Amino acid sequence: MIQKKICMLGSFAVGKTSLVRRFVESIYTDKYHTTVGVKIDKKTVKVGEQETTLLLWDLEGSETEHDLRKSYLRGASGYLLVADGTRKDTLYQVLSLQLRAEEALGPVPFLLLLNKSDLTDMWEIDERERAAIEQKNWKIINTSAKTGQGVEDAFLSLTEKMMEKHDG
Amino acid sequence: MQSDAPDVLDQEPAVPSSNDDESMAELRTLLLGPAEKQIAEVHERLTDPQRQLKEVSHVLPAAIRSRKDDELTDALAPTVTAALQQSVRKNPKPLADAIFPIIGPAIRKAIAAALSGMVQSLNQSMTYSLSIKGLQWRLEALRTGKSFAEVVLLKTLRYRVEQVFLIHKETGLLLHKASAAGIKVQDADMVSAMLTAIQDFVHDSFATPKDDELETLQVGELNVWIERGPLAVLAVVIRGNAPQDLRTLLQETLERIHLQFGQELSEFKGDSSLFEDTSPLLEDCLEAHYDTGQDAATRRRVTPLTIIVSLLVIGMLVWGFFWLRDKRRWDGYVERLRNEPGIVVTENGRRGGKRFLSGLRDPLARDPNVLMQEFEVNPNDVVSHWEPFQSLTPEFALLRARNLLRPPVTVNLSVKDGALEAEGFATHEWVMETRRAAHFLPGFAEIHDEKLLDLNRIQDPLLMFQMDRSDLVPGQDEKFNLLVGDIKRLQAIAVELKKNVRLEIFGHADGTGTDARNAALSEERARAIATALESNLPKWPNLTIHAVGSRERVKEEVTEADRATNRSVTFKVVATDVQ
Repeated sequence: MIQKKICMLGSFAVGKTSLVRRFVESIYTDKYHTTVGVKIDKKTVKVGEQETTLLLWDLEGSETEHDLRKSYLRGASGYLLVADGTRKDTLYQVLSLQLRAEEALGPVPFLLLLNKSDLTDMWEIDERERAAIEQKNWKIINTSAKTGQGVEDAFLSLTEKMMEKHDG
Repeated sequence: MQSDAPDVLDQEPAVPSSNDDESMAELRTLLLGPAEKQIAEVHERLTDPQRQLKEVSHVLPAAIRSRKDDELTDALAPTVTAALQQSVRKNPKPLADAIFPIIGPAIRKAIAAALSGMVQSLNQSMTYSLSIKGLQWRLEALRTGKSFAEVVLLKTLRYRVEQVFLIHKETGLLLHKASAAGIKVQDADMVSAMLTAIQDFVHDSFATPKDDELETLQVGELNVWIERGPLAVLAVVIRGNAPQDLRTLLQETLERIHLQFGQELSEFKGDSSLFEDTSPLLEDCLEAHYDTGQDAATRRRVTPLTIIVSLLVIGMLVWGFFWLRDKRRWDGYVERLRNEPGIVVTENGRRGGKRFLSGLRDPLARDPNVLMQEFEVNPNDVVSHWEPFQSLTPEFALLRARNLLRPPVTVNLSVKDGALEAEGFATHEWVMETRRAAHFLPGFAEIHDEKLLDLNRIQDPLLMFQMDRSDLVPGQDEKFNLLVGDIKRLQAIAVELKKNVRLEIFGHADGTGTDARNAALSEERARAIATALESNLPKWPNLTIHAVGSRERVKEEVTEADRATNRSVTFKVVATDVQ
């Protein structure tokens, strides 16, 4: 059994917690966010024949990179950046969080999730911005906690990337 | 070879001083021709730092080893010290990691010695603690005769290690776990991650010096002890209060894991199966100490003295039981005697191992020995002394009166207002005797016999008849009327006493005349009286008639008066019980 620690980073109210709530096992309640600043969840995914258990460190939403508790990042094999597609500022915040994470973890795999994809009317991120980010060789997945769209895909993609690195 | 080299080197500078360069060169070629190549080689060896380095490195270990004195050590010491200092100043971690496996045991040894001195003062401070628990323990110490500190240890040394987690320090991922039998571990991997997060949280939140870390979490009876190594963390869940020795065990376990799995730990990429071999080490940490101290103490308490004391206590309890039972029986018996009519208890108690009892007893009272059996008092244990006396209670006075007077069944004796009351009917003799004796009966002021009928009042009177006739001699009306009255009374008393009375009427005749005539005459006379009585009595009397003629004479006939007496009727009263 392979285990991997991954972190979920993003601003307040981008939907990190709702994103994982339906897809993970948890024995802890959401109040850990406000007390300890992190909530641990578990998700088992299967890539090829290999089952991998992801220990998901769902970090308390942080506005700036200074709010980020670096010690919670330690030892992570990958991370998910979560932004709210209906709030452009959360995308900018996620960019700086990524810098901070890379500084702490080095070049580990990560994905950018643009959440709330079901709210197309209110979508604020246009193709130009998306292209600019993809230019940096980032993988972007549109997700919706409400419909479940993209969530499994996100965990699988990240695991695949981590396993490439693991085997390599 | 080394010693030859300097010689060659020394010779070389002397050569170019000649002025005939060419001839000199030639000479040199001639002289040194074969050695020139060697010289060049030696020169190169001496001037090329790379070659020097290589050669010295070959001989240095042997050279150092060959130096047996302390000179080399002395020479090296300052450099090594400086190097270590510089290394630590630059980054202390590698050195700390390197010495981690050995430093723990060394420090513990030193601390153990220091602690043993501290325990005494700890005991003292406990001695002065005044918590309720402290007081309870103090009582227990008094009761069991142990020192207070010993009791405290017994109370505190009960624990059980229920779960052990080996956690990768960097990632917080669970490497391996062990749990005690019957303990359900819920999602150990999430628990270990959260435990790591909490350690980080505490470390980040409370600005402590670098090396201070969370060591203990306490939730009610559960304690979580966290022991850190450079690469792995050992967290154990303990129920109860574990001794410090457990901490030592955890440290040792963690050190051994670092020694045996150092490489796996530093190269960990999430594959926890590599750590399955840590099972025996982790399971060794699952210690359990259930009240064993207490049990041992209990066993230790069973000494010959405790057996003797226990037997004594049991003996006393048994004796107490019988003593109490006997006392209750005795008290019950004495109380019964006090309430018994005709018995007066004046003294009771114990003398010479036996109970004694003395007092007064009316001979008519119940036998105290019979009562003794009733109360299950053993008569052999009792010495009784009873003075006879006459009880003047109505009950006994009556009893005595009955014994003395022996009343016929037709007389009822009773006590009323301190007087003896006699009711019924009896012979004249008994009535007279009773009247006389009543004055000497103890307990009665007087005798009331108004309701006592002297049967002579009926049996005595003679109703006399005229000669050869069944007509009464005139002038006997009053006598007859009195008789009728007495028979009425007799009938009333008989009803009250539930007796049947029969009146026997005897007809008599005088000695003159024939027997046949006399028989007929006497019958006629008896019938005449019977008829007269029946007509005068409201209730039909039970009568029998006996014509005795002149056979049963009332009086021997000597004079005419005697003959007149025999011309009569007499009565007899016979009483029988109602069927």
